[in-house]
Amino acid sequence: MLMCRDLAGIASDYIDGELGFGKSLSIKVHLMMCKDCRSFIGNLRMSARLMQGHSSARVDGDVIDRIQDRVTAALEERKPPNNPGQ
Amino acid sequence: MSTPNALDEQNLIEALKRGDQSAFEQAVSEHTAGMMSVARFYVDPSSAEEVVQDCWVTVIEAIQRFEGRSSLKTWLHRIVANRCKNRLRTSNREINTDFSEALEPELDNRFKPSGRWATPPRLRFDESADALMENGALSDCLDKHLGQLPETQRSALILYEAHQHKSEDVCNILDVSASNLRVMLHRARQKIFLMVETFQETGEC
Ligand SMILES: [Zn+2]
Repeated sequence: MLMCRDLAGIASDYIDGELGFGKSLSIKVHLMMCKDCRSFIGNLRMSARLMQGHSSARVDGDVIDRIQDRVTAALEERKPPNNPGQ
Repeated sequence: MSTPNALDEQNLIEALKRGDQSAFEQAVSEHTAGMMSVARFYVDPSSAEEVVQDCWVTVIEAIQRFEGRSSLKTWLHRIVANRCKNRLRTSNREINTDFSEALEPELDNRFKPSGRWATPPRLRFDESADALMENGALSDCLDKHLGQLPETQRSALILYEAHQHKSEDVCNILDVSASNLRVMLHRARQKIFLMVETFQETGEC
């Protein structure tokens, strides 16, 4: 018998569709009977979705600027010397 | 982060192959954040910047050999991962991905010995994540908590959720097993869950 605590342990696998048919079914049955776990799964799913929209991987503009400068310098260096146009 | 004049991926790749400077500017601003997440999984933050800088310089040549079998993003992330792994080979650093428990202690405490909830989730979060995120204070709080996650969990979460990489790509880039990835994701999500719950109840981060 799947208890609430067991369900919480594999809730992410359930959300991501990583569980086999049997386990997934026993979760579905549990969820039909347990309001608390329905809340938990709903909230955990929302937590995952929050991350999807969150541009959390932001970095300092300074970091980007330093990389832009280095790439620009490397591109310049690489240009053939006979490039009189421009 | 697309601007009106941004090239689509195919055109961007063609322009990068020509060594077009504005194409590199676009690519650097679009992809550096994700590359930093990969690097920070492996190395400390200051080395991470150095690694990512070096990667961009190698990309100038390496892009000629890019055949489009993966997305540009996945390809760039793999370049960063490989560079980090080479660097680590000499330093012998162990990456801590060993979580034997699936549940965060703070969540585990909320169950009775019988396995039923003692302290169940108290609220349903809003139906829409977008609506939640429009709350700037929550967004700041999320940033703060992400900053406190172990690097391993944070990188796994960012690559999987924010960058929408497939599991196998994340495992490949971070060099972790599928089961390790599952645990890292689950532990990170539980922390976000606990954070949002506290925030909704108290308005505090
Ligand atoms: Zn339950």
